Amino acid sequence: MHRREVSKWNPANAVTASRFLTLPLFVWAVQHGYRQWATLFILVCGLLDKLDGLVARMFDCRSAFGEMFDAITDALCYGFALIVVAWHGWAPAIPVALAIALGLTNTAMRAQYARRIGRATNYKSYAMERVVAYTGYLIGFATGNMEVTYFFWLFPVVMGLVLLHDGKRMLLDPIPAARPA
Amino acid sequence: MNVISDTQFEWFLTLAVGLLAGVWLVYDAINLIRTAGADGQDPVIRDKRFGYVIGMVIGVIGLVGVLRFRGML
Repeated sequence: MHRREVSKWNPANAVTASRFLTLPLFVWAVQHGYRQWATLFILVCGLLDKLDGLVARMFDCRSAFGEMFDAITDALCYGFALIVVAWHGWAPAIPVALAIALGLTNTAMRAQYARRIGRATNYKSYAMERVVAYTGYLIGFATGNMEVTYFFWLFPVVMGLVLLHDGKRMLLDPIPAARPA
Repeated sequence: MNVISDTQFEWFLTLAVGLLAGVWLVYDAINLIRTAGADGQDPVIRDKRFGYVIGMVIGVIGLVGVLRFRGML
């Protein structure tokens, strides 16, 4: 079956890109100590993440590029926001550093997986999807000052476990046969 | 510069996280049960099961966090 060509300039990718617009507002709120506004902006960033998938289905513009762009945007937005809250003392620095190191490891493993397959692709990890959502909530816990130590120190444990599983799947297990589009 | 009062904000966080964590736990538990009859040798099925278990763990972490936040644990 022939897979339809989808332009990179489509509504779903526009929604994904718009998430970056929440970051300057988020930094402004954190710098001024406006916890509620910071929570609101990171909430909007998270909601836009859910909206882009919906828009992609509505306009039938799903693509491998869109999936990669979405994953990269998740990493950049949440990674940046985590650094901002840690920098301002709203979150403990060590678990944030661990989370970013694990995130970079995940990115490197995905790049290696794409090299093994021989084309640009994004390994579908049901567990990592949930961990990424947890990352979004982490920032909310920091801005809302909600059980910050508890949530932040549990995060690297969960993410480390998922990375061990996904690392085996991406780097060691046989490459799955291509499925029809 | 607040949008709502501190008490309202605390309750908003409690309800938002509590509801989300609870729904997440139930949703992934149902997903996990649905894979019960599937072929356990299929790597995709194993990935799904692992993902659903992680989702349930995160749901429990969220619920425990809410209880701690409200001083119940």
